[in-house]
Amino acid sequence: KKLNISHSQITRLYSRFHSLDKGENGALSREDFQRIPELAINPLGDRIINAFFPEGEDQVNFRGFMRTLAHFRPVEDNEKNKDLTSGEPLNSRTNKLHFAFQLYDLDRDDKISRDELLQVLRMMVGVNISDEQLGSIADRTIQEADTNGDMCISFSEFTKVLEKVDVEQKMSIRFLH
Amino acid sequence: RSLQLEERKPSQQIAQRRVRKRRRLRKVRRRVRKSREEEERKQHVQRRRLSSSSDDNSEDESMSEGEMARLKEEVEEKKKLIATLRNKPWRMKRRLKCLKEAQAFVEKFEGALGKGKGRRLYAFKVMMTKKIIKFNRDFENFKTACIPWESRIKEVESHFGSSVASYFIFLRWMYGLNLVLFGFVFGLVVIPEVLMGMPYGSLARKTVPREEQDSAMDFSVLFEFGGYCKYSIMFYGYYNNQRSIGLLQFRLPLSYLLVGVGIFGYSLMVVIRTMARNANEGGDGAEEGTFTFCWKLFTSWDYLIGNPETADNKFASTTTSFKESIVDEQENLKDENIHLRRFLRILANLLILCCLGGSGYLIYYVVKRSQGFAKKDRNELTWLQKNEVEIVMSLLGLVCPPLFEVIAELEDYHPRIALKWQLARIFALFLGNLYTFLFALFDEVNSKLENEKEIKNATIWALKEYYTNYTLYNNVTENIPPPNISPADVIRGPCWETEVGIEFVKLTVSDIQVTYLTILIGDFLRAVIVRFLNYCWCWDLEAGFPSYAEFDISGNVLGLIFNQGMIWMGAFYAPGLVGINVLRLLSSMYYQCWAVMACNVPHERVFKASRSNNFYMGLLLLVLFLSLMPVIYSIMTLPPSFDCGPFSGKDKMYDVIMETIEKDLPPFMADIFSYASNPGLIIPAVLLMVLAIYYLNAVSKAYQNANLDLKRKMQMQRDEEKNRRNNKDSTNQVMKDLEDLMPNKSLIPPPSAEETEIPADQLRKSPKVTGKPGAAATGKGVHVQKDVSLAAANPRAPVTRPPGPRPPGPLPGNARGPPPGQGMGRGRGGPPPRR
Repeated sequence: KKLNISHSQITRLYSRFHSLDKGENGALSREDFQRIPELAINPLGDRIINAFFPEGEDQVNFRGFMRTLAHFRPVEDNEKNKDLTSGEPLNSRTNKLHFAFQLYDLDRDDKISRDELLQVLRMMVGVNISDEQLGSIADRTIQEADTNGDMCISFSEFTKVLEKVDVEQKMSIRFLH
Repeated sequence: RSLQLEERKPSQQIAQRRVRKRRRLRKVRRRVRKSREEEERKQHVQRRRLSSSSDDNSEDESMSEGEMARLKEEVEEKKKLIATLRNKPWRMKRRLKCLKEAQAFVEKFEGALGKGKGRRLYAFKVMMTKKIIKFNRDFENFKTACIPWESRIKEVESHFGSSVASYFIFLRWMYGLNLVLFGFVFGLVVIPEVLMGMPYGSLARKTVPREEQDSAMDFSVLFEFGGYCKYSIMFYGYYNNQRSIGLLQFRLPLSYLLVGVGIFGYSLMVVIRTMARNANEGGDGAEEGTFTFCWKLFTSWDYLIGNPETADNKFASTTTSFKESIVDEQENLKDENIHLRRFLRILANLLILCCLGGSGYLIYYVVKRSQGFAKKDRNELTWLQKNEVEIVMSLLGLVCPPLFEVIAELEDYHPRIALKWQLARIFALFLGNLYTFLFALFDEVNSKLENEKEIKNATIWALKEYYTNYTLYNNVTENIPPPNISPADVIRGPCWETEVGIEFVKLTVSDIQVTYLTILIGDFLRAVIVRFLNYCWCWDLEAGFPSYAEFDISGNVLGLIFNQGMIWMGAFYAPGLVGINVLRLLSSMYYQCWAVMACNVPHERVFKASRSNNFYMGLLLLVLFLSLMPVIYSIMTLPPSFDCGPFSGKDKMYDVIMETIEKDLPPFMADIFSYASNPGLIIPAVLLMVLAIYYLNAVSKAYQNANLDLKRKMQMQRDEEKNRRNNKDSTNQVMKDLEDLMPNKSLIPPPSAEETEIPADQLRKSPKVTGKPGAAATGKGVHVQKDVSLAAANPRAPVTRPPGPRPPGPLPGNARGPPPGQGMGRGRGGPPPRR
């Protein structure tokens, strides 16, 4: 109920969950996710899959599945905010950005360091650009985003970078109306 | 007595004092009470707000326990208050007010608690709101599912990226627009004429003339929209000028004119609305400069790609875009011969102007020739001669764009800029062609008008002759019946509007043919050849020369826009044209979707589509205005044909409106209109609008300036923060001095490491750096790297080797106050390393 998903959406999500769950054991494993082509060819695919699984576990049940996908609900303009009582809903802009942030921040220290950026760059661009240039790109990126000089990108800096990007629209799946 | 008086005085005074005290106390008490009451009221209001907001919130679920308890408490309080109100020492008015408030409160909220009279009403309200929300959601889902071709477009998107899919989305949008226009034209013009007007063959204008009747059904004649086609609902000439037709007294001529103008109005409205919506959705990208690399890193992957081949392409394109950005940064290193480049650019522009002029002249020449051909007998002409104009125009559209691209190699622009130039040139080409075509057409119209005068005279003369003969033979001077000639034999005027309509229809049809043939031959045949001939060819056809075609987005979009322009122009003269276009767009959707999936490969540089959308809409708007002008011109100035179309017999086409105002509307409306069309009123109105536009423009410029200022301030703040954190002041100075020492490129490390030294955009805006005394911060050898000051805002550079613990006095670099110049820095020793 906290996730604010309607009945029909839950039904649809469950049918999708069911179609992915080839082992028919009520939970999804990593192999099930990797069967989705879009995730398989995505350089960050593994990390996205990881985001579904809670710490250290190998199976995700339907509740967890829903919880992660709730991040991608479109943000409604007239959403009567329950800020006063239950905190921000999962699909707010901040939480969406946080989801994206966690894809890059592997060690969960709330900062994206230069090494983490290098890893991402290597995955995205591979061997086509020399390591030196990759290093410079990473440095330049940090330079652009860093405001407090700690040579890492914190979550607030990340938010500032993506301020102009229409996150609400890009990180929303339309059927989750 | 005096004593008594004095005694009275004190007692009076005391009494007075007592009275005053009591009054004061009363006032104070009243104030206290009032403030308390106000507080209570505020609290109540707050609670009510909270509870009502929570009430609203709780539509989906019941209120939480805490809120229920609080609400219960308050209701109890209110009830107690009502019960004890009689005992309170208040005035009647106040008591009544309090009572009303308390009762209202109890009524409202007792229902929420599940007891009392309001319960059922409250429960009902809650249920209804839940139902309405569910209904809204379902309706939204239904609307989303109803969007046509969504799965098809998504498939294209996943294979080819969002840029190609944007073309199909644009196509779908056009289809929607044309469907609405078709609805207007069909419903308000064609159907009334068909249902309520005179049938085919009853009037001269609706019948094929006797001389043409033999060949009227021939395919070749029909193919050129002569014969039965020409005298059908498709063209202007068919419509009757009867003022009102049918049972409902439908005023067809008026409707024809209004629909003709309304098409433009509706299209304008829709285009502007779409542009506004696109602009809102972050389509501006004005902030490219500040976070280039961050954005590339975080947002360059297109998550909608599901196909491995496309994914590989996306990899490559991301790589290319990084390399491109690096190259962008290095652009200024290219300090080549500016004069040569400018000369080459001017040369290229000249060449292209020549091409455009040449193509314009060619079209004019061909149209003139076709006028000459029209005078000859149709059967003597070859097919080539008959369709010369259309073929030439289509060929030009095919040949010139690649020619422009080749010439543009001379210019050596950045690819993005080159693309914009290319689009602008192709646009000019199409525009020039279209307008030359129109001018040639109008020449023809004028000659037809001349012709018409002759025929009109001939007709009147023939009629008079008939009447005289009749009078002579039958000795009757009044009530002579009209000549009993069958409609097919009546002398016809040339009917220029139908001719114009035919020209537009032919142009559209040939455009369709050329497009489809191009796809078939250029894409499909090529793909077949490459695929099958590859087995027995010397070099790898797929990787090498022909290879598979890429989908030409800009060419297709421009073709679509111009096609729409032609429709807009021709719809007034040929109502059937909109229907043809609807069919064309529908078939185009399926055909092109198939062709893209079967014959094309994804682009090598998969680029993002979002920002270009408004560009195409802007072009569409321009084309709309350009196509509006000829139609309005012809409505206002050219006289309609005397014997065909809904305006026959009138002096000008807009006379219909005057007629309607006079005859159909109440008399005072005519007065209003005549006042409104008074120049004395119109000119001030126009002036007012011009002033309004000027004012709004000034206001928007002011906002933009304010925006820029704020951005600059934010930038300054960021830089100040960074500088402050890193204690830059000393090293700034040193680095600047070093710059002065070594202004040439020796300080500049190889390209890859340059990245760290180029916080270009940030520093361009930072006046702090430029404000340093004696500093050549952003000048000199730095022009090599835009405005890089090698010092500030780069935390990596000198921080790694701070000059030891800071001495208590002024730093060495600043020892002698504002350094007079270059000599100072040298005393400090070697430059700190740049990394």
